[in-house]
Amino acid sequence: MKRLKYYLKLLLLFIRFSLMAQMEYRLNFVSSLLVEIGYLLVKLSYVAVIYSTGVTIGGMTPDQIVIFIGSYILMTGLYMFFIPSFYAISGNVREGRLDMLIVKPLSLQFIMTLQRFDFGMPIPNVTGGLILICMCWSRAGLTVSFTHIAGFILFTLTGVFLTYCMFLIPKLLSFWFVSTSGISQMTDALWDFNNMPMNLYSNWIQKLGTFIIPIFVITNFPGLCAMDRLTPGYAAWGLAVPFLAFALQRAVFKRAVRHYTSASS
Amino acid sequence: MSIIELNHLNKTFDYYTKTPGIKGSLKNLFHRETLKKEAVKDVSFAVEEGEILGLLGPNGAGKTTTLKMLSGILFPTSGHAVVNGYIPWERKNEFKRTFSIVMGQKNQLWWDLPASDSFYLNKCIYEIPDADYRRCIDELSGLLDVRDLMDVQVRRLSLGERMKMEIMAALIHRPRIIFLDEPTIGLDIVSQRKIREFLKYYNEQTKTTIILTSHYMRDVEELCRRCVIINQGSVVYNGELADINRLFGNKKLLSIKMSRPAAREDLERYGRLREYAPNAATLEIEHDKIADYSHKLIEQFAVVDFTVTDIPLEEGIEIFYRKEQQVSLVTP
Repeated sequence: MKRLKYYLKLLLLFIRFSLMAQMEYRLNFVSSLLVEIGYLLVKLSYVAVIYSTGVTIGGMTPDQIVIFIGSYILMTGLYMFFIPSFYAISGNVREGRLDMLIVKPLSLQFIMTLQRFDFGMPIPNVTGGLILICMCWSRAGLTVSFTHIAGFILFTLTGVFLTYCMFLIPKLLSFWFVSTSGISQMTDALWDFNNMPMNLYSNWIQKLGTFIIPIFVITNFPGLCAMDRLTPGYAAWGLAVPFLAFALQRAVFKRAVRHYTSASS
Repeated sequence: MSIIELNHLNKTFDYYTKTPGIKGSLKNLFHRETLKKEAVKDVSFAVEEGEILGLLGPNGAGKTTTLKMLSGILFPTSGHAVVNGYIPWERKNEFKRTFSIVMGQKNQLWWDLPASDSFYLNKCIYEIPDADYRRCIDELSGLLDVRDLMDVQVRRLSLGERMKMEIMAALIHRPRIIFLDEPTIGLDIVSQRKIREFLKYYNEQTKTTIILTSHYMRDVEELCRRCVIINQGSVVYNGELADINRLFGNKKLLSIKMSRPAAREDLERYGRLREYAPNAATLEIEHDKIADYSHKLIEQFAVVDFTVTDIPLEEGIEIFYRKEQQVSLVTP
């Protein structure tokens, strides 16, 4: 418990420092905010299309579909929150900047992956996603009860945890191959599979995206839970898979850091 | 009792070469021949508690790699090392609390924030009590003369100021051992001197053990009594700094200035002529003949000024740096 408090304090400090550092560059901060608002408007155009065509996917009404789109936008914002540390891994390995992190008396993974946070990009996405979800919740006929809201929040949080674990693994390949931007782009492209409900895809893609590369667990499960469409088996898998992914990425991480060769000074 | 001990430490890196041009790049895309570079070869030495040891060597000799293994950043290929009772590459947190590493070309401070924020972060990481932290910051900022700069963003500081801040950040948790890898690189002479003075004072006051690498001989001469010289990954000298010039025998340099020009041949009778101008000369003379020859030189030539100095340390060290030179002054 004492250790948890220690890491929580440091996490809050890193978040505060990241915000302070970004506020040093006002123009950059505002421009990234504006760019992301632009992207958000593009995503919202899908919503407009769905309403104007009145399309249904797997028996879901447009309002229900928008819940999934809202979850996708929200989760994109939350992922962007910690993405700077992920994208810094390759450079840190290539230029030997991990040297100064390895010598600190705390978890290397913690300081390496949770040291830098972004605020400009997440703000529009988190706000936009939450607004969409809140707007469509009752319109979609979802029950406003503690259980449903708690279920939605629980699967959103496990989704964030799963995102961290799943998307860290490709970045760790930098320890072997140094530059991994190609692999990163490929895995990040998987993310966009989430911008529609998984029912849109064929059965085998749904199974693949749920059990092999559990990308659908991240943004589909909160909505499915709120709609009472999540079977107990899927719910159990949704809660278990982040821990399995955590164990897998820890194993990869431990092997990866042994490959660290630093860089000449 | 040694606080640091290295026994037959080795580190080999894999690398590959590439012939110039696009043809070489295409060839590399399909086939790379892996080569081995022995960065550190069978390195053994020990450091006593409270000592400042100079770790010297030419570029690429293996100094930084050795320091990185001693601080647990790199795993050795083979060999053993114990630092303050710990095996460094086990990377135990208790071990990490006992040392610090400062590298002249790498920084730990947050670039866009004042150094005081990074200090506070280290306070939280190392769990230093508030009172100790305040006392430490007050003391170090006074000694390094940076009190007025604590709230300036790191990116706005000069290189010298930044290095002082890096040193401060490294000392907040009062480490027993400090590894300094070229801490004065690129600094002006005033900043170099200030950092040297600080390190000397800090070592005297706290008995902190220091291993220092530097290409500036003033750093080494003023701070270290003993040094280890590494060349091509191997230890080629381990001993007192003062003994390095034993390579030249027991010689000194005698420089004279004269009111009248003197012939080269006349001066050469006294020793090897290192520098010559009609009215000035520098001679290499055996130590026991200095008094006698000085007297004779004054009598024979119109000497208006003369000085006796040691042969510069650089010259002795340079011999160890030359690859082809086999020097046998390594002490066990």
